[in-house]
Amino acid sequence: MGLVLRSWAANEAAKHCAVVVWVAVSAWLFWRTFRLFSSGPQYYYLHQMLGLGLCISRASASVLNLNCSLVLLPMCRSILTVLRGTQQLNSRKARRLLDKSKTFHVVCGVSICVFSVVHVCAHLVNAVSFSVRYSDDFPALNVAQHRGQDPRILILTTVPGITGVILVLILFLMFTASSYSIRVCNYEIFWYTHNLFILFYIILMLHVVGGALKYQTNVDTHPPGCIRTNQTNSSSYTSSNQVPETQTKAELKEMPHITVCKEDAHFQHHFPQTWLWVTAPLCLYCAERLYRYIRGSAPVTVVSVIRHPCDVIELRMLKSGFKARPGQCPTQNKETFGIHIRVLGDWTECLSELLFPALNHSEILPIMHQRTYPKLYVDGPFGTPSEEVFNYEVSVCVAGGIGVTPFACVLHTLLGGWSQYRLRRLYVVWVCRELQCFYWFANLLCDLHHKLWEENRPDYLNIRLYLTNTQQLQSFSEERFRPLSSRLLIGRPRWKDIFGEIGQSNQHKKVGVFCCGPKSVSRELHKLCNSFSASGTVFEYNKESFS
Amino acid sequence: MGKIEWAMWANEQALASGLIYLTGGIVGVAGQLKGWEYAAFGIAAGVFVCLLEYPRSKRAKGTNYERTGQYCFTVCVKAFGPLTSNYYVRAFLHAALCVPGGFMLATVLGCVCLGMASLIYLSAAIHGEHWQPIMPKSEPAKSVTQSIKHPPQNPPPRPPAEMRRKRAEDLESAAYVNPLPVTANE
Repeated sequence: MGLVLRSWAANEAAKHCAVVVWVAVSAWLFWRTFRLFSSGPQYYYLHQMLGLGLCISRASASVLNLNCSLVLLPMCRSILTVLRGTQQLNSRKARRLLDKSKTFHVVCGVSICVFSVVHVCAHLVNAVSFSVRYSDDFPALNVAQHRGQDPRILILTTVPGITGVILVLILFLMFTASSYSIRVCNYEIFWYTHNLFILFYIILMLHVVGGALKYQTNVDTHPPGCIRTNQTNSSSYTSSNQVPETQTKAELKEMPHITVCKEDAHFQHHFPQTWLWVTAPLCLYCAERLYRYIRGSAPVTVVSVIRHPCDVIELRMLKSGFKARPGQCPTQNKETFGIHIRVLGDWTECLSELLFPALNHSEILPIMHQRTYPKLYVDGPFGTPSEEVFNYEVSVCVAGGIGVTPFACVLHTLLGGWSQYRLRRLYVVWVCRELQCFYWFANLLCDLHHKLWEENRPDYLNIRLYLTNTQQLQSFSEERFRPLSSRLLIGRPRWKDIFGEIGQSNQHKKVGVFCCGPKSVSRELHKLCNSFSASGTVFEYNKESFS
Repeated sequence: MGKIEWAMWANEQALASGLIYLTGGIVGVAGQLKGWEYAAFGIAAGVFVCLLEYPRSKRAKGTNYERTGQYCFTVCVKAFGPLTSNYYVRAFLHAALCVPGGFMLATVLGCVCLGMASLIYLSAAIHGEHWQPIMPKSEPAKSVTQSIKHPPQNPPPRPPAEMRRKRAEDLESAAYVNPLPVTANE
């Protein structure tokens, strides 16, 4: 039991702590604002007019301020990449928290939607209250022009009202286009609607300028509930309904001393607090986008294009001023960097048609043909969880199909030298549907295997290839791929057995598990890492996904 | 931009706006606000839109992502034939349903969101899309392959028992005589 808890804590504790801190800060903010507006003396008259709607709308607004500022920070990917690489984040726990930046962005986004709903409902109630409880005593407090004005007119003719409606519409568009199925099926809809965020923030800045809610400035000279000298109690409240009259009379009776107002109440707009919350993250994000745009504006030169089996194309490119570091998709030639793309979906099909025009059937197009290539722009490099492979003593890389590409970079780096890293043992588990898929990196795997055997480290690299297509018996026919054919297994991998085996060989060690594959595999591996309790080994789960 | 399926996005929007319409209607009726009859209509319209939009359509190309438990809704929606599969009909239906929501404060948001969904459905209809039900794939019954021929009826040929028993004094004759000639592997 203790071991299971240890595994769970190693994988989940930091994330859950971060969420608990975020929830605590939000709750504290909500409660503090609620208390301020329900019992603060400067809001006494406003609270009398609007009631609970005022407190809830302002409290939800403060939580919205927090989340609107936090939601931008996880999307500053270049800054996160720099943070990941510097010495500042020495702790692996902190770097693993950075892996969850997209999840945190989603959490903040969902809370923005939820609190927007609360905020809108509360303000609708406020609009009705402004209309029904029109105050004749304090005309400066009113938003309505006369008693009983249609609340819909109030919403559509005030700046906060109309900007609020537009904000809700933009949020609705962004939210409905962000679901998982839309992102997978039609990424462009998600991308273009999500870029409406800049409009959202501009209108948000205008939304808070309207200043419909005012606070009282002279609380010391006009304490709330004091008696005005030129008016009696009964006449001052005849115009409003009965409830405030009895309330105020009761309050007056309870008050130890009844004060007389020295002057009339003065009201003033708030300073827009949202500007203080939102400006800094927004400027940071805009600076980051500008930097990425400038960095990505130089087109890359396509050096060669190779067609691989099973709809994969390899692009080797050259970018001036960029030299691929170890682990950044390097190729044999240090100047160029290469990527493998699987052709699935309309964008990649379009790219494939542009790179391989129907007339040209040759597999490798040399550099002199590059004028027929499309102009390509590359954004990056960005940090990924797979960078941590070298920082564990033992690492397990699980790849599904084309998900092997991050680990191909790792293997390529090891080909250049393995002794300078902390990594002492690497397990590569690659699951594919077709045998042809293994040919994408068969050469790389065999080269590394031979190199390690030559250097007397046969236990460094453990390759397991799984072929899930069980229609006919297949194997590698080439002689040079003999190391792979002896490590090829037919059928789906049994993860529990594999983990048991790895645990036995690496007792009392921390093993890093890196998964890049379909959701079903990653879910199962995550569960296994959280609940593994044999042989004192702790498996730390890291996931990399392409979407 | 490649071939975008507008209907998928319109479906998400319509489902969300149905829920917003429903919530606004409940608030309006529960609070007995002015114009609560429109709110009551909003509840009915919201429920209807949610039921209509819950089953996702089959994509023209690619994998389908079903919503949990959508099969029974698919069957109901499929029963209406062209009324539900044509997106022009859906666009005008949503536009008509959203209008009464504009007359009441609590349902205004639902009205606007459903109106937007109706516009996207119109765009989907203009692009020639239509609703197709996602039916579960019926697996062909696994027939036992004919590779297993009739099992042999008779036991293999053997000499009678007393001849098979090995006699210690006569090992040569106890050796089993193969009925079929056996040749060595060349």
